[in-house]
Amino acid sequence: MIDYDYRKPGNLEEVFSLLKEYGPHAALIAGGTDVMVKIRNTRKAPEVLISLRGLKELSYIRKNGDYHIGALATHRMLEQSDLVQRELTALYEGASRIGSVQVRNVATIAGNICNAAPSADTAGPLLALDAQVLLQGPEGERRVPITEFFTGTYKTVRKETEVVTEIRIPAEMERFGSAYWKQSRRKAMNLPIVGIAVSLRLDNATISDARIALTVAAPTPIRAYKAEEFLTGKPMDEAVLAEAGRIAASTDCCTLRDSLRGEAWYRAEIIEAYVPRMAKLAAERIN
Amino acid sequence: MPDHLFVGKSIPRTIEADKVTGKAVYINDLKRPGMLYGKILYSSHAHARIKSIDTSMAKQLQGVRAVLTGQDIPDVRVGFLKDQTVLKKDVVRQFRDEVAAVAAISPEIAEEAVSLIKVEYEKLPAVFDPFEAMKEGAPLVHETDARGRPLKSNILPLPWKFAVGDMEQARKDAAYIAKDTVSTTWVNQCCMGTSGCIAEFDQNNNLTLYDQTNVIFGHIGRISEYFERIGLAGKKIRVVNPVVGGSFGTKLDTDIYEFIAIQLALNTRKPVKILFDREEEFCALPPRQPAVFTIEQGCDKEGRLIFRHCEAILDNGAYTSWGATTPSVMIMPMSSLYRVPNVYFKATCVYTNNIYAQAMRGYGNPQATFAVETSMDSLAEAAGIDPAEFRFINRNRPGDETPMNLKITSCGLEECITAVRDRLQWDQKRGKQRGRGVGMASLIHVAGGARVTKSDGHGIRVKLDEFGHVDVIESGTDQGQGSPTVISQIVSEALGVRPEDIFLTFGDTALALWDAGTHASRHTFMAGNAAVIACAKAKRQILDMAVELIPRLVKGEFKRMKRKDPEFVEPDLDYGLIANPEDMDIRDRMIFPKKDPDHPYFKVPISEILRNGLHVGIGESRVVAAEAFYDPPTEMLNRDMKGNLSMTYAFGTTGVEVEVDEETGEVQILKLVAAHDVGKAMNPTLLLGQIYGAGYTGVGYGLTEEIKVRNGRVMNPSFRDYQMLTAMDVVPIEAVIVEPGDKDGPYGAKGVGEPGLVPTAPAIANAVYDAIGVRIRDLPITPEKILTALKERK
Ligand SMILES: Cc1cc2nc3c(=O)[nH]c(=O)nc-3n(C[C@H](O)[C@H](O)[C@H](O)COP(=O)(O)OP(=O)(O)OC[C@H]3O[C@@H](n4cnc5c(N)ncnc54)[C@H](O)[C@@H]3O)c2cc1C
Repeated sequence: MIDYDYRKPGNLEEVFSLLKEYGPHAALIAGGTDVMVKIRNTRKAPEVLISLRGLKELSYIRKNGDYHIGALATHRMLEQSDLVQRELTALYEGASRIGSVQVRNVATIAGNICNAAPSADTAGPLLALDAQVLLQGPEGERRVPITEFFTGTYKTVRKETEVVTEIRIPAEMERFGSAYWKQSRRKAMNLPIVGIAVSLRLDNATISDARIALTVAAPTPIRAYKAEEFLTGKPMDEAVLAEAGRIAASTDCCTLRDSLRGEAWYRAEIIEAYVPRMAKLAAERIN
Repeated sequence: MPDHLFVGKSIPRTIEADKVTGKAVYINDLKRPGMLYGKILYSSHAHARIKSIDTSMAKQLQGVRAVLTGQDIPDVRVGFLKDQTVLKKDVVRQFRDEVAAVAAISPEIAEEAVSLIKVEYEKLPAVFDPFEAMKEGAPLVHETDARGRPLKSNILPLPWKFAVGDMEQARKDAAYIAKDTVSTTWVNQCCMGTSGCIAEFDQNNNLTLYDQTNVIFGHIGRISEYFERIGLAGKKIRVVNPVVGGSFGTKLDTDIYEFIAIQLALNTRKPVKILFDREEEFCALPPRQPAVFTIEQGCDKEGRLIFRHCEAILDNGAYTSWGATTPSVMIMPMSSLYRVPNVYFKATCVYTNNIYAQAMRGYGNPQATFAVETSMDSLAEAAGIDPAEFRFINRNRPGDETPMNLKITSCGLEECITAVRDRLQWDQKRGKQRGRGVGMASLIHVAGGARVTKSDGHGIRVKLDEFGHVDVIESGTDQGQGSPTVISQIVSEALGVRPEDIFLTFGDTALALWDAGTHASRHTFMAGNAAVIACAKAKRQILDMAVELIPRLVKGEFKRMKRKDPEFVEPDLDYGLIANPEDMDIRDRMIFPKKDPDHPYFKVPISEILRNGLHVGIGESRVVAAEAFYDPPTEMLNRDMKGNLSMTYAFGTTGVEVEVDEETGEVQILKLVAAHDVGKAMNPTLLLGQIYGAGYTGVGYGLTEEIKVRNGRVMNPSFRDYQMLTAMDVVPIEAVIVEPGDKDGPYGAKGVGEPGLVPTAPAIANAVYDAIGVRIRDLPITPEKILTALKERK
């Protein structure tokens, strides 16, 4: 029988001490929408689940120079935030396409990236928006660029004793437009077949800076650096964007594979089609 | 006065308040004293010999009350062709083979016990493709038949064949011919409530089965047969439905888990519940039958169909349930959708080591109609005729008798085709390509019962208490289709009371008369007709009493008034108005003379008559109750697969407009028009519910749904990976209700439960073709298939 203890500390210090006490026998739980599914599927649970839901102060979205998103901000909060929708549109699009309203009401942004699925719907937008992950442990705080956060499928740089407390997006993203496309067979309750996030800046009609992120395109969410390099300094025209799409879909950028949800060739087609579409959308959204 | 007070009105669903507030008792909620929980161990191979089963650890687990294997129960064969046993003891032939079963005091313990059973297998060569399975030398799924005679082939001894006319001559006569090969795959019925039952024996081994079946009496038949073979001959079986969370065909056969629950209950002497989880629902419940059709049609210069020739191969899976009988229904669209004089249809069912199939909404018709309607478009193109026009030319008409001997009575197909054409702006939109297109498809289906068993009867009982409440004991089942509401409407109309006076009991074999099953879109038609007959009888009983009692009551009242007021003058009344029951009627709870409906003295509440009829002196007291058993004058299919098996037939046409993204292969449905000839809309809102629901299921069938079976194993047994459409994916549906009125239907109604699903997928396929010029002949129409086809064209 599946059995576990459940603790709900009221502050970070208590979380650290519980983590220290139970070590590998504990797991953090926020919304629980990954944790509980995993417990049911594997029919195995850690000895104790340490809930972060007592840390009410970690549930915020604000702009204060940089953009600050508390670890416990739910996808629903992101979806309903005017600030996110206006200035971090790709993240709005990623969060608002997760599961269903019921899931988004409890599922958190930190849970999404800490679970580190190659398909995580906020990972692409966060990569395209140059996010940084703030981790706190008994020894203090560190900041990790999201490009270095994922170390493998379901693996991150987070140490057992650490808690993700915040996602930070640099103020300069203000001047970017961004967009995210989740390719899926239906409009809700679905994981992406592939995800494409683009953010860019224009200098007149020239692309001065661009980020392209892909999910379900490699063992972790990735940036398509080669395609970004190609775009930088080029004009925003059909031929350029199409070529960027081709580069992004190629083995220069991703390691696509066949799975039940989609075949590699089809994922490549979608990346190729949607990098240009998202780039155009991102350009339109520059404030 | 309006014709009908309740029939034809959008009265809200009556009993659903309990469902949405959590009060309704589903099988999940139902508990019996001392009840145990059963769990099944399934095979780990598609084909293997069982070398040994070790249950010792499972038996030792605390809380376990029984662990059964094939060695522990009688070796009795069950199923449509008796080609399997309840627990498999020598050979497993598919991943869902039931190898052992556990009963324990909690579901968790049962599950743990199952995981402790060790089975040693020796793998056998398996075959997963029906075409491979037909080849000589293919591994045999069954080495012997039910009687132990050796088998030489995987082809089932079920030769479905239908032939009318002169095919050779017809081919010669045809000016245009088109040939297509189309295929359809497994899809799950996706009931909201998963499968489950509770088996409970009394001390005398009489069985009560709390079960979600929609064929309560057929269930008894199959279980009795099983009882005879396990030494329980003659025992009484009672089947009781809890609230059922959807059926869509899943509850038509008696499934293996039900026999297992019975065996566990027998063994432990306790009630035993088995309840599937969603994975089991996907892996261990028979889904819709997949099929491959090669279809050829020909027409003359004017576009009149001359022949239709079709051969189908059905992947039967390892055992046989109703899936193997779907060709009997396929014959209907094959022979009778549109006018076609020469028809040949042959279906071959082939054993493989895949999962086996059962019934699902439409019962073979969606598959066959996909073939026919794909071919209709191909042939229209070959003949250079607009596909809508082509269908119009060949439409069925009232009074037709089809090659299968179906007698078409009411038929609104002409109106349906025309409505779709108009609503889609067909003539402006068709043939433009550039990623947008329109397509249509039609259907025929049984709509007045379906005589698939010797009796297609349906019984109903109606009784009234002295307050005017009406208890209706229905022999059918309520699986959520809205029957309680519609039957309440019919009973209240026919009896002269109100829908809120009606209290229905469904699905209890001890109370109900008999019914062939709540399947084949037959419930409203059958129960409605039975209700009309029973209500006429009950009404007559009430009016007989009224004729006697009203004069007495009125005179008694005058006497009282005189006593109070000696001046009172008794009015001079024409008692002839209420002398005969034929001159009286009941409406909206009031009894009145037909000639003077608002008569100040003769208009009496029904409850007053019922009360005064019951609470009277010795020997005079009466109650009102009536029953009816309606068995329509239809025919079973004969050896040539001909016969008018239904009193009437449903027709309809679905049209869709799509937009196809040629870079990604995505199909978006911009508009779906579903025009249905329903005879008469009994409850327009509920009717729309059936049309929308079936339509969306049809969209899923056309575009997204697919049980992915790889080497016999179901790879996507969850709603995460099985792409059933969600509420967010709804497409704009416009329903067009065509109401010609059917002379045999209750108040003119025909069945409509299944039709909406049938033509949806081919309409989408045809629209995709119109949009981008490639035809997808294999369901579902995925973006991958579209992109591949577009590339091949380039
Ligand atoms: C029905 C359903 C649909 C879904 N659909 C989608 C979808 O469309 N797209 C998608 O991307 N995901 C989807 N998911 C997955 C899931 O909802 C998301 O990944 C979600 O963001 C997880 O957040 P959570 O708060 O529920 O995480 P939890 O399940 O609580 O935790 C997930 C992981 O993160 C760790 N964790 C959580 N918070 C912290 C923290 N602050 N610091 C360190 N570690 C932490 C936990 O220990 C655990 O390992 C779906 C899940 C369900 C059940």
